[in-house]
Amino acid sequence: MINITLDMLFILATFLLLLAALYTLLFLTKKSKIVRGVSLSVALLANAILILISSSIVYSGTALEFNFNQIFPMMGMDFLIDRLAAFFILAVSIIAAAVTVYSFHYLDHYPQTRRKNIHIFLMNLFVLSMVYVVASRNMISFLIFWELMSVSSFFLVCFEFEKAETRKAGLFYFIMTQLSTVFLICAFVILYNETGSFELARASEMSSGLLSMAFISLFIGFGIKAGIIPFHKWLPYAHPAAPSNISALMSGLMIKVALYGLIRFLLYIFPATYLWWGILILIAGTVSAFLGVIYALKEHDLKRLLAYHSIENVGIILMGIGMCVIFTSYGLTALAMISLVAALFHTLNHGLFKSLLFLTAGSVISETRTRNIEEMGGLVKRMPKTAVLFFIGAVSISALPPFNGFVSEFLLFHSLFQSSLIPDPIVQLIMLVCLTVLALTSALAAACFVKAFGTVFLAAPRSEHAAQAKEASWSMVAGPSLLAALCIGLGVFSFQIFSWIGPRIGYSFPLPDMLPAVSVGAVLLLMIVIGFRLTDSRKPRVSETWGCGINSQNSKMEYTASGFSQPIINIFSFIYQPQKINKRYFMDIQETVFREGKVEIRMVRFFEDYVYLPIARTVQRISRWLYSQQNEVTLDPFIFYEFLAILGLILLVGVIV
Amino acid sequence: MSVEFILYCLMNLGLVIVLAPLFISLIKIVKASAQGRKGPSVFQTYRNLMKLFKKEVIYSSNSSWIMRITPYVNIICMLVAALFVPLVFIPGPQSWFGNVILFLYIFALARFFMALAGLDAGSTFGGMGSSREMSLSSLTEPAMILVFAALAFVYQATNLFDIFITLSESPLMAFNPSLMLLAISLFIILIAETARIPLDNPETHLELTMVHEAMILEQSGRNLALMEMSAAVKQLLLMSVLINIFFPWGNTTSFTIPAIAGSLVLFLVKCILLALVIGLFESSLAKMRLFRLPNLLIIASVLAFLTVILEVFLP
Repeated sequence: MINITLDMLFILATFLLLLAALYTLLFLTKKSKIVRGVSLSVALLANAILILISSSIVYSGTALEFNFNQIFPMMGMDFLIDRLAAFFILAVSIIAAAVTVYSFHYLDHYPQTRRKNIHIFLMNLFVLSMVYVVASRNMISFLIFWELMSVSSFFLVCFEFEKAETRKAGLFYFIMTQLSTVFLICAFVILYNETGSFELARASEMSSGLLSMAFISLFIGFGIKAGIIPFHKWLPYAHPAAPSNISALMSGLMIKVALYGLIRFLLYIFPATYLWWGILILIAGTVSAFLGVIYALKEHDLKRLLAYHSIENVGIILMGIGMCVIFTSYGLTALAMISLVAALFHTLNHGLFKSLLFLTAGSVISETRTRNIEEMGGLVKRMPKTAVLFFIGAVSISALPPFNGFVSEFLLFHSLFQSSLIPDPIVQLIMLVCLTVLALTSALAAACFVKAFGTVFLAAPRSEHAAQAKEASWSMVAGPSLLAALCIGLGVFSFQIFSWIGPRIGYSFPLPDMLPAVSVGAVLLLMIVIGFRLTDSRKPRVSETWGCGINSQNSKMEYTASGFSQPIINIFSFIYQPQKINKRYFMDIQETVFREGKVEIRMVRFFEDYVYLPIARTVQRISRWLYSQQNEVTLDPFIFYEFLAILGLILLVGVIV
Repeated sequence: MSVEFILYCLMNLGLVIVLAPLFISLIKIVKASAQGRKGPSVFQTYRNLMKLFKKEVIYSSNSSWIMRITPYVNIICMLVAALFVPLVFIPGPQSWFGNVILFLYIFALARFFMALAGLDAGSTFGGMGSSREMSLSSLTEPAMILVFAALAFVYQATNLFDIFITLSESPLMAFNPSLMLLAISLFIILIAETARIPLDNPETHLELTMVHEAMILEQSGRNLALMEMSAAVKQLLLMSVLINIFFPWGNTTSFTIPAIAGSLVLFLVKCILLALVIGLFESSLAKMRLFRLPNLLIIASVLAFLTVILEVFLP
């Protein structure tokens, strides 16, 4: 009985989201804000229903099954929402709800009506496609919705397409995302070849070579979408180009959908997992986490900084997944479960605080009209609510107790600390190195967010726009507030939540109870404050900052973001490889009279200069050569090429079979 | 929570608050006599704190709520962390009190606020201090995690209470030679975290040496007192972690007055000795250049890692 109602509710939510999407298309040219308001309200309702359904499935564990085979026959439109899928749908719908609330007013400062309406249409479609990727039970429907997700997000990224920078970012994103799909299709074909079915169910035994090929292919495919280093380059391009609500959705949700795919295949589809997969995932995760934060530290573009932190956090999640695979291969199921839950919980947490940060960053950027943090400052007085919200996000992402980011990293630390249970000393050492790097990463993340919060919100404003900034409108505060409340709640009450949900999954989690620590802290605070009030009732005086004798302090005296991160860049200069270019021009040939000079410090963009561009150049060279071969547009050579291609294919198939 | 545990909490908090300033002055005295000076009285730090508590608070006009809550957050963090390290009496195993990861991250929380407060007033000094502090701490934190991971390997525990209990049952375990390496790296971390020479100089307000002092330059009155108190508490906590792990004699598990009194005397003697060592160590070295410091911190990590390798390969 309950199943039928959930079923219907889910289809109702789908229908509402579709309605919300199509509604804006109906009134495409209508200027009134009411069109978008109605659409967003309907979408909000749909998300609320989805939250209800998915949380009930997460709690009860009874899977929800349905299909659209009557409407779309032979397309494999089968859906199954089990606990794992429901967990991801829960994350999607909570964050989508917050972003929907935020979007009520976010688009106001853009003038183009039609574009804004299309934006809302695509946004609803994007959310819908993510829900359905997760719900898919069939590779075909998985791919269809995966592509819908990619295409809709591509158009969303290209919102401001008149800017060359945005077009470049969009193109980059589109190429990468299509590459990801290619790898997915490869893996799906391998699996289909072996099992004879497109269903996403536990595959039967297959040879380890083919299985590993499928794994690698999937890892690359999902890795590109999730932004694992070295496939990460689209993230720092696409996020700054996209509007902030879309960055929040992409960073908070879309890259998580890719991780969902990885977890689903590793744990539910593949007949076996191997130790070296786990080690590969763990190392890839560690490298992504470390390099992500290292690149974030040198970034002054607020959104690009956040994008690099997404790479870092995806790395942390991957570490959890890798540990899960490693522990599974040694038969340590309880620890495997803890690592998996660490990864899953961090997925949710990262979704929450990263969307929170992107949304508040969006408010800041639309007020200050720049993404450069060196031109902000002093916003804590001008946008107090946004500042508090961003602060909560910053504390959470820096993995500081008692907020949620700490809890999931704690679980991961805990499972890495248990490496002494693993018999193989080499694996133990690998895990300890990863442990150290994780500690380094989280310390650097804290440094990076001290930099970000400090330069954006604290001290005196560094530009005209920053000085005139105003608090964001109510919906742009309300949406992030929901996420901030969850960040605090999931941290402080984590022990209670896990001891409530733990028995239902059948595991217990070694979490510290934050509530007593927080209450002890609160009692102590109360005592200190009361003590101060009783002994001294003077009001604190407000005066100017001491400026070493200069009377009027100005913003030029403040520490800048580049100054702040300089020691770290110096310490890690073996990674950044900063190059100092010193050019001098002279008035005369003998080089005696100095005319002008140019000093430049630039960081090596390792992946771009040594990985992406060489590949792109090679591809370009091949296509240029092919182009020269096709110069004469007559039919005969083409027929000849066709013939060669078919011949080649026949020979290839003949060799393989 | 048993009565015993609540008594433990009160006793630990009381001890930490009473004793923490003592060792600040003690180290100053050791340094002064090493330089041939007389040095301040043992009670000088208490007097300084009392004086600051009576003074008026002044905020910069640039500063925000970060500046105003930071002193409170700092002292609360340190006092909560104080419950994690049994100084003289161990009240039996606890489920999460004493968890090393939480312990480290409580310090990290305090540091996060302190660094933001350094940026809040908009002065160059504060920003410089925050920047240096966050850069150096990003290297101390992994070293600390590694030390505790090594301890987890040796004692099969990630909880300070469990480690202390194991040690109080068989104190000879502390003679494990590979633990010597850990003691060195923990000592380096102690020096780094308490902002001492060669990493920082707690005595001066010179631009070159300022890390910790620069961050709290804008604090005043009772807020400054709270910041100094938290620094003192942090030092005592790290000292007692070092003492209780590597010289574990005296820490008692029985809640009787003679046992606790005996353990307190032993603890004081060990702390005074450690203060002596710290003072002499500081006097014998010069301040290092800022960009030489990573090497020192990396030594701490490497020593901890060596311990782990020893533990992994030598059963």
